[in-house]
Amino acid sequence: MTERSAIHARDVRRVFESRKGFFFNELIRTEALRGVDLDVDHGEIFGLLGPNGAGKTTFTKILSTLLIPTSGSVEVLGLDVVRQAAELRPRIGLVLGGERGLYNRISARENLRYFADIYGVPVVHRDRRIQEVLDRVDLTEAADRRVEEFSRGMKQKLHLARGILHGPEILFLDEPTIGLDPKSARETRKLIRSLVADGVTIFLTTHYMFEAEELCQRIAVLSRGRIVARDTVAGLRKLVGGDRTIEVEAYGFDDGEIQRLNRLPGVSRVMSEEFGPRLRLTMRVRTDELSLEQVRAQLVNHPELAVRERRTSLEDVYLDLVEEEAS
Amino acid sequence: MGASTYSRRVSLVAVLRLSVLTFLADPQWLVPSLIAPVIFGLVSYELFTGAGPWFVLYAILGAGMMSMWGQTLYGSGWATGQDRHLGTLEPTLTAPTPYVYVVLGRVIWNTVAGLFGGLIVFVVVAITYGHPIPLANPLEFLLMFVFVIVTLAAVGVVFAAAYVYTRYAGFVQNVGEFAFYIGTGCMFPVVLLPFWSNPISLVLPPTWALDALRYLAIPGYQGFGWGFWWDMVGAVGTTLLYLGIAASVFRRVERHVLEAGDLNDW
Repeated sequence: MTERSAIHARDVRRVFESRKGFFFNELIRTEALRGVDLDVDHGEIFGLLGPNGAGKTTFTKILSTLLIPTSGSVEVLGLDVVRQAAELRPRIGLVLGGERGLYNRISARENLRYFADIYGVPVVHRDRRIQEVLDRVDLTEAADRRVEEFSRGMKQKLHLARGILHGPEILFLDEPTIGLDPKSARETRKLIRSLVADGVTIFLTTHYMFEAEELCQRIAVLSRGRIVARDTVAGLRKLVGGDRTIEVEAYGFDDGEIQRLNRLPGVSRVMSEEFGPRLRLTMRVRTDELSLEQVRAQLVNHPELAVRERRTSLEDVYLDLVEEEAS
Repeated sequence: MGASTYSRRVSLVAVLRLSVLTFLADPQWLVPSLIAPVIFGLVSYELFTGAGPWFVLYAILGAGMMSMWGQTLYGSGWATGQDRHLGTLEPTLTAPTPYVYVVLGRVIWNTVAGLFGGLIVFVVVAITYGHPIPLANPLEFLLMFVFVIVTLAAVGVVFAAAYVYTRYAGFVQNVGEFAFYIGTGCMFPVVLLPFWSNPISLVLPPTWALDALRYLAIPGYQGFGWGFWWDMVGAVGTTLLYLGIAASVFRRVERHVLEAGDLNDW
């Protein structure tokens, strides 16, 4: 384990077993994690991306002591998540997305008061601390309303408030902006950045690529229970073939044309995708030397040709990696 | 803020406060805490009023016990089931406070609420029929009454552990409810039940405690026939047994659910 690691995971595997059938005699084994290795530094925002069912929530729950791995070792803040869970729990916070996880019939303030007490916030500071976190998530005005009257966004803010209430050193956020309107999502991202400024390490899982790109210093992509890539956003772009993406669209291309595009300087890969009656070729390009004119020159027999260029997005990187793993 | 450490007292008070707030906010508790004791009390009185005052008391004690069951035992286990339902079991289990203190806080609240349930039976009968229910040893009876609730709470803690263990605990509890009403002697004297069922009755702490309570309240009461103090020995012994089971089971239950990963299922 490196000195800097807030999270250190090696060969983490998790198998879920369930039984079905009238006599529960059929055992079903699902391998959710298949040997995950990961290090997260202190004070960084680390993003974990992956499709539904990739194992993101399973891994987050293991890191936050809610689930025991089938095998492998996991240390958070230098403490083993299984053997030293009791020492670790006061130092971590967990925010799971969604509408559940709160007592709906009582007020937001009473929810926080309860969780503050069982999370060990000293009673003398408790009410002041609750007010601080309510202010921070912008829920002060609604603090004394029942949670059942809250919108989804307000509940999500309350989840966040609960997660940071006891001043954790590391915060696990499982899809914290899912279902939020753009304004609330932006406020949540602002809050996450402010927590990092306070020295909190953030481990974030999300489906929103722009969110990961905007917030995370480093990102790992989890697919089918395995980490398929981990790097900075720039590093991941390089990994999938370059910063530039050129897209060309026409009513079909022959193999010779595609091969010619593949041989152009700086082109690392060409992928094709049907788009209604048209075919789209997406080229990842490593250098600035290749011009759009050079691309058009290879495809002179397509009067309806459309060529455009954009920066390779994290979404491109993500889809490339996940599709590569699936194939 | 640095790493937080929990305080047992603060945690217990927090759980008590939460229990009171959720109780007050949820009208469904009117049934076991207010309506059921009134109905149980009135029906028992009407059924046995011709059998003499002491037999009426015998029946009313059973009715009180049934009311307290609803609140004390059912409430303690049910609250953990609610945690599963609301998704609050996960953030509660990741808290530094061990979950057993959360359950303990709920049991204390439900014990108090159960006490009210039992008292309501007495008050309703006294008001409706215009005279208080005679008691042979009122002070000892009151102390014993509290102890009866403790025995119920001991069973409640075990049920709470079952609710953490599996979302299907409610099924077992609902089936067990009828066994409890009959097996503990709430409705009929245990000696009237078939002999094979007696061991089941005797492993339930409230069976012993209720019998002891009747010894105190009813002059000449025979019950199991071995007297008040043997009933007390049985009640204390079985209560300690249940608390012991709960203490040892809780840690294993927590380990089990963290292995199974079904804390959020309901």
